[in-house]
Amino acid sequence: MNLTYTLHDFWRQVRAFESMFFIAVLPAALFVMFGVTQGWSNESSGNGNVSAYLMVSMAAYGAVTATTSIAGSAAVERMKGWGRQLAITPMGTGGYAATKVVVAVAVAVVPVIIVYLVGVFTNSAMDDPWRWFATAGIVVACSVVFALYGLAAGLLFRSDGAVSAASGLLVVLAFLGNVFMPLSGSLLDFARFTPLYGIVGLARYPITEGWVVAVDGTAEQDSVWMLLANVGVWAVIFAAVALFAARRATARN
Amino acid sequence: MNTSATSSPSLSAPTTTPLAPAIECSQVHQVFRTRKETVHAVNNVSLRIDRGEIVALLGPNGAGKTTLLDIVLGMSDAEEGTVSVFGRSPREAVSCGLVGAVQQTGGLLDDLSVRETVVMIAALYRQHMPVDEALERAGATSFARRKVSKCSGGQQQRVRFALALLPEPDLLVLDEPTAGMDVQSRHDFWDTMHAEAREGRTVVFATHYLQEAEDFAQRVVLLDRGAVHHDGTVDSFRSASTHQTVSFVWPEPTPLPNLPGVTRLDRTGSRVIAHTHESDRLARFLLTQTPAAELEISRGGLEEAFTALISRSTDT
Repeated sequence: MNLTYTLHDFWRQVRAFESMFFIAVLPAALFVMFGVTQGWSNESSGNGNVSAYLMVSMAAYGAVTATTSIAGSAAVERMKGWGRQLAITPMGTGGYAATKVVVAVAVAVVPVIIVYLVGVFTNSAMDDPWRWFATAGIVVACSVVFALYGLAAGLLFRSDGAVSAASGLLVVLAFLGNVFMPLSGSLLDFARFTPLYGIVGLARYPITEGWVVAVDGTAEQDSVWMLLANVGVWAVIFAAVALFAARRATARN
Repeated sequence: MNTSATSSPSLSAPTTTPLAPAIECSQVHQVFRTRKETVHAVNNVSLRIDRGEIVALLGPNGAGKTTLLDIVLGMSDAEEGTVSVFGRSPREAVSCGLVGAVQQTGGLLDDLSVRETVVMIAALYRQHMPVDEALERAGATSFARRKVSKCSGGQQQRVRFALALLPEPDLLVLDEPTAGMDVQSRHDFWDTMHAEAREGRTVVFATHYLQEAEDFAQRVVLLDRGAVHHDGTVDSFRSASTHQTVSFVWPEPTPLPNLPGVTRLDRTGSRVIAHTHESDRLARFLLTQTPAAELEISRGGLEEAFTALISRSTDT
């Protein structure tokens, strides 16, 4: 992996305002609207307040948007000829993949930092300092799963439009995954099978210890194993689709 | 028919095998299979290009030029046959920085500036020429700060050329480098290339502009439907078409005698057009021993040679 190349690529992503708006600005704005300025902000959600709970949720949403769009556009730019340009340099496929993983994770850190800074300077509270770092770390680590999702979209449809659509679809997945609004009843039962549920559940775990409070006030506890299984199964599904799409792409060339 | 090797040991990096030619292809086959048909994109091509040669790879679209160059660049593996570049495998030669290429389908990233593009690619090489020098030599200094998306086709081609120069390669491979350029940019581009060639680099370029082959190459390799149809100097290529015509006015009642070396005769009114391989001999005969008048001799240009070679290969 090459440092100069990686830094330039990172800077190129971060200065692209259109994509950074959805990755960092929108989650921060959503957090201010629903997390900071509401009546429920200072109520407890376990080992922290509701504001902190929504801070983690929005940071997770920003981070998966980042990895989806970076990985997806990596696939597209590679197929659109930049890959051929790189193929005649000493950088191999492995080096390229490593570079993109680092860039994706680095960009995923951006919304986490911004949303957490907003939380720090407003009313987010957690019982211990380590919970801040634990939640942030889990968000960034789990967001890598969605790099596979973006990669699959980019490889399957081979266009920037498809990658944008895949990032846009994250809004729907976030609603279904109990990220934005607390769900209840059969919708909550269904949510457990959707791809963002596990990630956001794990990230909130240091605050909630798995407790999910529905709109109607009923509470259920998810085991950490169930959340890990959700993330693991979706990682395998995305990886399988990406692998299938990659095989198909090479066969066609 | 190969032109003699003008190897330049001073320029070849110490890592190259001393006597290996720049490119050596031996019985290379490449086949593409689709559901409906099997295309022999490269069909039994054997080719040796020595160091310092400037070779034009000529052929119509779909002749296999890009496929062959892809194999030489290590972008794809030949189904059969062997290819070595400076005595190494193509991939090894590429990753050592011995090869620079302007690829027909090589893309650039729209949202980078020209200079950033060159800086990023430069960083991937262990040794490379200074970024500013590459920009200067490719003639891209004046628009180095511009976004790639705002560059014209010709300017983007210069950016690709700057990238190709970065590792100071011993071999430059250019796949239709002037495609999409206007006449002036094309002219400027080849001026730049002349300067690079004088440094002793081996240059292999694919083109379907015959004029470029004639102006720039010492040797022309004609590919058609995946096979080498002609390989020699520009002059030998032109005469290989042996397409010369001698036309003259013939007095009507007199029957035409048997003309030496004529392959075909066309008559339009009183004018006779004789196609021949030996225009000098025919002209001498006509002027000294017949009543033929108003003699005109024309030798086919590269264009005609090209068409003749292609159509001949289509006939067979």
